[in-house]
Formats: sequence, C-alpha cells, structure tokens
Amino acid sequence: MPEVRIVAKNFMDMVAALPAMKLDKLYSSTFICEAVLRSLPPLAKKYVLQMLFVDSPVTAKSMEEWLLADGYSKHKVAIDRLLQLRIFLEVNDRKKETSYKMNTKFQSNMQKYLVFGGTLPREPMPLSVTVRLPTLEDLEVYALEQWECFLLQLINSAQAERSTSFSSSMMRVFQRGLLSARENGAPKLTENGFQFLLMDTNAQLWYIIREYISSSEDRGVDPTDLISFLLELSFHTLGEAYNLNTLTDVQKHAIKDLADLGLIKLQQGRKESWFIPTKLATNLSVSLSDSSSRKEGFVVVETNFRMYAYSSSKLHCEILRLFSRIEYQLPNLIVGAITKESLYNAFENGITAEQIISFLQQNVHPRVATKTPVIPENVTDQIRLWETDRNRVEIIPSHLYEDFPSKEIFEAVCDFAREIGGLLWEDSKKMRLIVRGEYHQHMRDFLRHQK
Amino acid sequence: MAGDGERGRPSKKLKISSKSPQIVEDDDIGHYADDFDEDSREEERDTKKRDFTKLELKPDHANRPLWACADGRIFLETFSSLYKQAYDFLIAIAEPVCRPESMHEYNLTPHSLYAAVSVGLETETIISVLNKLSKTKLPREMIDFIHASTANYGKVKLVLKKNRYFVESPFPEVLKTLLRDEGIARARITPENSQGGEAFTISRTAGEIEGGHEELLNGAEFAAAAEEKETHSFEIDPSQVENVKQRCLPNALNFPMLEEYDFRNDTVNPDLNMELKPQAQPRPYQEKSLSKMFGNGRARSGIIVLPCGAGKSLVGVSAACRIKKSCLCLATNAVSVDQWAFQFKLWSTIRDDQISRFTSDNKEKFRGMAGVVVTTYNMVAFGGKRSEDSEKIIEEIRNREWGLLLMDEVHVVPAHMFRKVISITKSHCKLGLTATLVREDERITDLNFLIGPKLYEANWLDLVKGGFIANVQCAEVWCPMTKEFFAEYLKKENSKKKQALYVMNPNKFRACEFLIRFHEQQRGDKIIVFSDNLFALTAYAMKLRKPMIYGATSHQERTRILHAFKNSPDVNTIFLSKVGDNSIDIPEANVIIQISSHAGSRRQEAQRLGRILRAKGRLQDRMAGGKEEYNAFFYSLVSTDTQEMYYSTKRQQFLIDQGYSFKIITSLPPPDSGADLSYHSLDEQLDLLSKLLSAGDDAVGLEQLEEDQDGMALQKHRRYAISMSTLSGASGMVYMEYTTGKHKQGGQVKSKPKDPSKRHHLFKKRFQS
Repeated sequence: MPEVRIVAKNFMDMVAALPAMKLDKLYSSTFICEAVLRSLPPLAKKYVLQMLFVDSPVTAKSMEEWLLADGYSKHKVAIDRLLQLRIFLEVNDRKKETSYKMNTKFQSNMQKYLVFGGTLPREPMPLSVTVRLPTLEDLEVYALEQWECFLLQLINSAQAERSTSFSSSMMRVFQRGLLSARENGAPKLTENGFQFLLMDTNAQLWYIIREYISSSEDRGVDPTDLISFLLELSFHTLGEAYNLNTLTDVQKHAIKDLADLGLIKLQQGRKESWFIPTKLATNLSVSLSDSSSRKEGFVVVETNFRMYAYSSSKLHCEILRLFSRIEYQLPNLIVGAITKESLYNAFENGITAEQIISFLQQNVHPRVATKTPVIPENVTDQIRLWETDRNRVEIIPSHLYEDFPSKEIFEAVCDFAREIGGLLWEDSKKMRLIVRGEYHQHMRDFLRHQK
Repeated sequence: MAGDGERGRPSKKLKISSKSPQIVEDDDIGHYADDFDEDSREEERDTKKRDFTKLELKPDHANRPLWACADGRIFLETFSSLYKQAYDFLIAIAEPVCRPESMHEYNLTPHSLYAAVSVGLETETIISVLNKLSKTKLPREMIDFIHASTANYGKVKLVLKKNRYFVESPFPEVLKTLLRDEGIARARITPENSQGGEAFTISRTAGEIEGGHEELLNGAEFAAAAEEKETHSFEIDPSQVENVKQRCLPNALNFPMLEEYDFRNDTVNPDLNMELKPQAQPRPYQEKSLSKMFGNGRARSGIIVLPCGAGKSLVGVSAACRIKKSCLCLATNAVSVDQWAFQFKLWSTIRDDQISRFTSDNKEKFRGMAGVVVTTYNMVAFGGKRSEDSEKIIEEIRNREWGLLLMDEVHVVPAHMFRKVISITKSHCKLGLTATLVREDERITDLNFLIGPKLYEANWLDLVKGGFIANVQCAEVWCPMTKEFFAEYLKKENSKKKQALYVMNPNKFRACEFLIRFHEQQRGDKIIVFSDNLFALTAYAMKLRKPMIYGATSHQERTRILHAFKNSPDVNTIFLSKVGDNSIDIPEANVIIQISSHAGSRRQEAQRLGRILRAKGRLQDRMAGGKEEYNAFFYSLVSTDTQEMYYSTKRQQFLIDQGYSFKIITSLPPPDSGADLSYHSLDEQLDLLSKLLSAGDDAVGLEQLEEDQDGMALQKHRRYAISMSTLSGASGMVYMEYTTGKHKQGGQVKSKPKDPSKRHHLFKKRFQS
C-alpha cells in the first residue's frame, strides 16, 4: 500500500498535477478558469491580467524588467505556479531565449468572461417552486452534522448513529492510510489517522475530496469531470436551490456522495428535486491558508489528569477516547481521565505524545486559554515521560547460541561475533551468547567452519 | 506491623523506668494499614462508563454552575459566578472527590447527606437548591437517593439540657417509632404528671441561625426554613444513653441521633472562665467551621477537616472558649500534648492552673471545678494496670462531666480506641479535628457515628490562594536504580530486602544529598527528611551526620533535637521516621524530602506535606495575600522500575485531588556533580550494597519488622489475617509483656523478632559509632 502522507494540500495542487490534456480540457469551462485565477498568488494574478490581451509571447527578460530588486523570489514563485497550472506556456526561440505565452483556451475564456461575465450552467430555482428553504444557520448546522457523522463512521463505524450511503469499498478507500486493519477486531487509527483528526474541517475535507477524486477512475468516472463539477459548485450561491435536472449523469451520481459529506443538502419538492450548496461547498476553492475560522476550544485539563470536554459531539468523545478513559458523558460535557493505561493504548496505535499534547493545546477551552501553560505542566511532562518510558526497551531480533562443545570454540565464536559487530550478550560461565539476527548466516558459516 | 520504631520504644522506656512498666500509654499512633486498596474503586468506575447524555439541559444552563449525575457524582465549574454559593452548599451536602482549579467533583453519599441534615439542611431544601444550581434537570435517581438517605437522618436529636438527656424530634411519629423499641421504652423517664406514654413534651427551638444558602432560595422557602420549629421530646435515663444511642444506629432502628449540647443553659456544670485573646483572630474559614458547629446556639458534635498548618488548634481552642466548660483534649502523643497545652495558653486567657497535662512523663493534677486537661488517647484508653497517681487522674477524668471532648487527628485513631475513650469519658459535645479524612475502609463510618458527621471541610487550594497555608511545590524525583542494586532487587532471595534496596539506591542517596545541600546552602531552608525504613534512616543520617528521631528516641531527646532544629543555625536538617508524620509541630521546616514511605498510603503523604504547610506563613504577615512564588518544597524520591513507582502514584492521589501537582524531576543529582556527593565511585556503591545485604543476617529483627509492615502493605489479603489488636496498636501491650519476659505471643500472626530490645541496642550502637 502506498504511503499516504497527510498534508493539507491545496485543491489547486491537485489540479496542477493533472496531465496537460486534462488540464486543457478543464480550461474550457469559464468557472474553472476563474477559480484557478482566484487561487493564484497575487503577483501571478497580476501577470495574468496584464497579459490577458497580449497574444504574442513575452520574453522572460522583459518580464524581469518589471521587477524591483527584492521582488525576484516572488516573481519566481508566480511564474512557477503559472507554468505548473499551464496558464503560461514556455516558448524557446532559436536564440534559446525563454518567453512565456498564455494558454490560448484559458486566455480566450477569461477574455470572454471579462467582457460578458460568467453564467452558471444553471440558475437558482424561483422561491415559488421551492417554497421554503433552510436558513443559512440551519444549513451550516446541517453541514457540520453531516460531516461529523461521516467522520464518526470513518473512524468507528459502530458508533455512528446513521450510516452514510457510501459503499463499504468507498469507505475503505477513505480509511486507507488513516486506519490500519487488524486481523482480529476493529481497525485502529494510525498515526496519520490521528493527525487527520487533529486537522480543521477544511483540511479534512480536502483530504477526503482528494481521495474521492483520485479513486474516481476505479469507478469509471473521469477525475476531470469531478474536479470541474466541484469547482463549478463552489461558484453556486450559498443557500440557493438548484434543480437536479440540470446535472449530467456523472454529476447526479456524485451529488449523492457530496450530500453525505455535507457539501450540499438535497431536497425534494412536489415535482422537482433540488440541491442547496452549503458553506463546505462554497469554501472549496478558497485556498486553505485563508481558512482562519478556528473553532472554539472545548477541553480543560486539570493537574490531576482529569479532562473535561465541553462538547456534545460523539466524534469528540471518540477522539478523546483514543488517549483517555472516558468516565462520564453528560449532555454538554465529557469527563475523562488521562491515565497511563489509556496513553499506552494510544502509543500502541502509533499516536505520539506530541500529537496528544498539541491536540489538547489546540482545543483548549477559552476559560483556561489565558493560563500559561494552558495544559498543566505536570500533565504534559508526564505524557512525554510515559512515552519515553516505553522507548527504553529496544527489540532486536536475534539468535541464542548455546551448548558449545568447548571453551575454545565458545571464545572463538564470541570473538567472531564481536568482530562482525553482532554480539549482544555473552555468558562465559554457561557458554551462551546472543547475536543479532541478521548475522545468523555468518554465524552459521563460522560455526560450521569450526567443526 | 505498623511501627518499627514505635515497637521498640516502650521497651527502651522499660529500661529507664522499670518501676512503672505498665506505662505504654502514650505510644505514638501511626497506622496506615487502612488505605491500600483504592484500585477497586478505580476499576469499578472503569467498568461502568456513565452515559448521562439523555439528561435534559435547561435553556439557561450556561449560567448555572453544576451537573448532577444519577450515580451521585456532581461536577462544579469554579469559574461560574455562582461558584462561591454553590461551593458552600456542596461542601455541606457532598463529599469532595477532587478539587483542582477549574472543575471540582463531588459525590453524594449517605454520609455526606447525614452531615448535611445534621447541620440543619432539610431534604426539600437540598433538592431545590441543587435543582437551582444544576444545568440539567435533576436525575430522578438522585432525588430518590436524597429522599432515601435523608429519610431517617437528622430526625432525632439527643440533647443534654440541665443535665437531663432528652430525645428530641420535630416529628412525633418518629418518637413513637423509637418508643416501640423495648430498650428505648425502658430507658424513658416518664414525667410524673403525664398519664400515658403517648404525650411528648412540646417546646420551641430557634431555627437555624446560620443560613448561607438563603440567597439561593426564594423568600418564601427561606422563611419556612428559618421559622421556629415545634419539637417533641421525651427524657431518658442518663445511664441508658449509650444503650439508646446503640439502638438508634443504622444497624438497628436506623434513626442515628445527632448530639447537641445546650451549653448556655447548662447550670449544673461549672463554667470555665476563659476567652479568646483579642489577638486570636479566627480566619474566615475557621469562623465558618465554627459557625457550622454552633449553628443553632447549641454545640454540635462532629468533625472539622482543615489542612495541616491551617490552624486547627485555634478552631479547637475557640470551640472550647465558646462552650466555656471543662474540656478534655486528646492528642496522639506526648509531644503534641505539650503543643496543645501551649496552644491553649497562647490563644486563650486560661490561667496556668486551669490547664493540666496528663502523659506518662507528666502527670499534672488538676485543680478547681473546671479546667482543661490535655492527654493522649492511649493514656485514657489504656486497659492495663496503672500507677497510683495516674489511676487517680483517670478516675477524675471518668467522673467528670466534660463540656467538650476535643479530639485531635481523629483519622489515625482506630475505631475501637474511640469507643473506649468515648465510653470512659462523659462528654456533652465531641469535636474531632483532622487534616485528611481519607479512609476508604469502614472506619470512616465509625467516625461518623462515634463522633458525628463532618461539619466542615476546607478547600486546600482556596487556602493557598488566600495565603493561609504555604504554596508548596511538589516534586517526584526519579532516581534510576544502579545496575548492581537492581540486579539484587530482582533476585528472589532478596524479596525481603526489596524495600531496603530501593531506598538505599545510591542514586537516591545522591539525589537526597544534593537536595539537602542545595536547600541548606542556596536557600537557607530547614529540611525534614522522612524515611519509614529504619535501616535507611540510620544509614542516611549517619552518613550525612544529621540528627534523627525515631520511635525509640526518648521524649527528652526529641524535644532537644526539635529545639535545636528550631533555634540553632547549625541544625538545618533532621531525619524523622514515621513518628514525625503526625502532630509534631515544626513550623520552621519548609522542605521535605521523602526517601521511603509506607506503601500506598495517601494519608501519610498528605500528613507529611502538612508538616511544611505552615511554613513561612508564620514569619511573614500570616494574613498577607499568597505569594506567587513557591515557599515550600516537597520532594518524593523514588527509585524507578521498583514497587516504589507504583506506590508513589497511589500516594499522591489525595494531594492531586486537592489540586496539587507533582512535577517530575528526572535528572537529579545533575550529571556534572561527581565525587563531591557520596557514593560516587562504584566501589563505594558496592560496599554499601554488601553492607546492606549482610545487614539482613545480622539485623534480622529489624528486617523482620520491616517485612511485617511491608507484607501488610503489599498483600491485601493479609490485612484480614492480622488480629484487631495488631492492627490497632494494642499489640504494643502484648509486646510490652513479651519484653518483660512473660513470652506471651497471643494475638501475633507473624513470628516476632527474636529479641527486639536487643535489636535496638544494636541500633543504638550503630548510631553512636
């Protein structure tokens, strides 16, 4: 299984990684062009706008002339990004001088967009049809609930109250890299999985969406279609209703999954069905760095290792359960204790002390957030000490050799083992020694030789 | 068992004053045999995780400070605006489980509710206030539990008025129930002018003066609570009082009686003319605890729990000054008897001739009609033959009617000794004082019914914040075992020496030496080093050339060492065995280093910490606000990978629950400290090891004693195999007879050391050499 690195990667990084042909196909949609433009660093945006109506290539040299002395690094970043996304194409003339030309498809689309403005393939449905739509607050609550439910199912399917319509194979795709399957018993969260849970919602969403898209080919869906649909979706107006009939088959299929993730809400009227994008969808094309909406913390840790979490979320409870002993669950409070046993459990699953501590620090309740340190020192110290305590024992696969016929042979073997650097332990009285496992072949050869 | 040093002490005394061999009365009491198995509690909790998510949140829950769970657990936010009121209320009705900074936990128990009822709270008040404070609707189970627990408690009072005992209750039907009991009916004295047995004397008593929760109740409810109440009563025969009380205990009629003393109307017993001196200003929490005791103008019996160093003695003296009758004050040992006598003189206007001490060394006769007598539990409870003059004094104590029976350190005294003391002394009101009411065993129940409910318990952290007790930095120092010591530790044949091995771990010794040096030289502190292991105590003290006190140290010697420690700039460190755990008042000390301790006893840990809580508070202006900086230090040295680690965690539990945190130090002594600390070279360490290993053979007695105690600590089942006398300290008497050559070994389960008196001689020699 390929190692999945959990990094909160930008959607655009994924777009940039698409093959040239698919990228060009993507740029046939005005909205994708706009989304890509929005995602660019400021200087790159400026270059695009500056060159939007320039048809001939511009030499790299003349572009550099625009720069102030200290602006080179930014320039470099901007150009790299533009090339990555194939908005600029490199052209080398005979003198081997580099110049840049804008992607024609992108250029013409953006020109059109500037002149005529963009129109979505579908219009919001009139209120006369939809009658009453959920308020924005309701919609947000819905989205988060949906998302939490999905996460809960992801990490512990037994705990989820209702299950999503994702097939178990689909679920397994998501769990890949987050959970490690055990031969007996429920799958356990891996270090990556814990890291994933520590990320904020947007970053988590990216991760899942990425997995969703990259696995689409196995389901016979072109990833480009999905990307363009998702980007298009981010231009829909939050809270408005859009008719499902306007969607293609692929989109119709995908929209169900998106509803499970909380990106959209599906509703059915008397005759028509429609979908309503939630905040999760409209934020999709926003680059991650701007998602400053930190959730308020909820955890209080006391010097006696007791932990009080102001939360009614089952997901929180499950996360806390990963490294603490949950003792009481109240309507809006979870009471637990961080114990040696509970931590050892967590360490066993590959969760590190630092991860636990940073999780606690990041989610500290505002009441205690003003204290320094926010988590009592003795608790953090102890968590670290318990972790290092576990690492005192190093396990080395090795072999025990005994029953030597004579002292001489024993000594010789010992010397040999020492020489090759494999001797771990020797007991000359009883003539036994232990040697690193990887030298077993050497040892055998040597022993055979002795006889 | 529980006292290696103490065991030896009477024998030594024998040598000195062989004319009065019966005096073993003021043997120190220090038994920790009672609190080892907390595990069961934890495990039990683990198995039933509690899900109360279905409780209904009130819409304004954010403004309310607590959650109440169906199993009796209560969580209190300390940052709530209603915290102060809620805290006062909860402390009255529930048992605090842990009280760190942001969130407190309490448990509702039948005992705590008994205490609540006895200080005048009524069932409906408890429920309605609790409901007001709760963020959720109160669980049905909790309401039922409160009803069930309070149904019988506090309904009946035993009142001593004008030296006649009355059983009093606002509920005539309860009295009728009682009278249906044959024993009680017989004890009843029927007034001459009444015709039948059914009529009760009806009188009015003042309602609760002390309120404190009125702001939480609306006007009407409070008015009802404060209203004068009609009470019904019947008189009983004074000689039958104990009997009647017995009948009312939970195992019989289950109407446990509250005892109240209407001292203002007591004209029979002579008044004792004593007042608090003007400079004795009780602090707010002392006032509060007294107000719980004297809430309705009478004196209630009960227990007040204050941390060590928070001024328990002032509370005791104040109570005696309010009652103004003869007072019998019981302490655990002779040193603390002296300290109590001193406290009485310090805080009150009592004349010197009105106060007398009664210990084995100091038998002061008391004069006058009323006075204060300070003595030890053992002196009173002692069952053997006494000398002539002490017999006289005891007779006097027996015959006198005491206004107040003041009992210090009630947590260390075994229940059967209480029974004895209480049956010997006739007192109107009993006040128990303690710092740590942690006894998970049944004996806490005994205290509840023998003395009375817990009237007040202070919050340690609040007192620290108020600057009333020292702000202690607690630290656990991890000392890795040296290779050689650990190898021996793991050997089966050394199982009996395990404790000695981990205590004598050279790394621990070096850490201890380093700390002593640091605190003596850099900070000019006064240091106490505690060791339960006598071998280690002697070895450490001798190596470092510091004075030490253990069980066999005579009273004079103790006084001399303590005096030097207090006053001499050259004596800054003393070594104490567990005789120093309780009641020896050493306000000068502000550093404790603990090198060995009694298994998992949380109480011992708290008591030891208590030795430094008073600390520098006395030097500065005591009432000044808390200093931010730590001004006292508590180090617990543990050898890693040994049993000690396990015990250490358990021991700290009580203090951690009070909000203390233990910082873990792993690099002591600093790696760069070399030969300037002892046992630097391997040879020295090996020498120590061989001494230690051979000591087993040449000091079997000592080892044996240690083992006894350790064995008890380690193996729970053995607790039950030991006779009550062994557990209680009464075995001291058996022991005494044994040393006088009678060779009676009754009551002992384990084989005794061959000749402990000799052993201690050996010890003496070692010490001197």
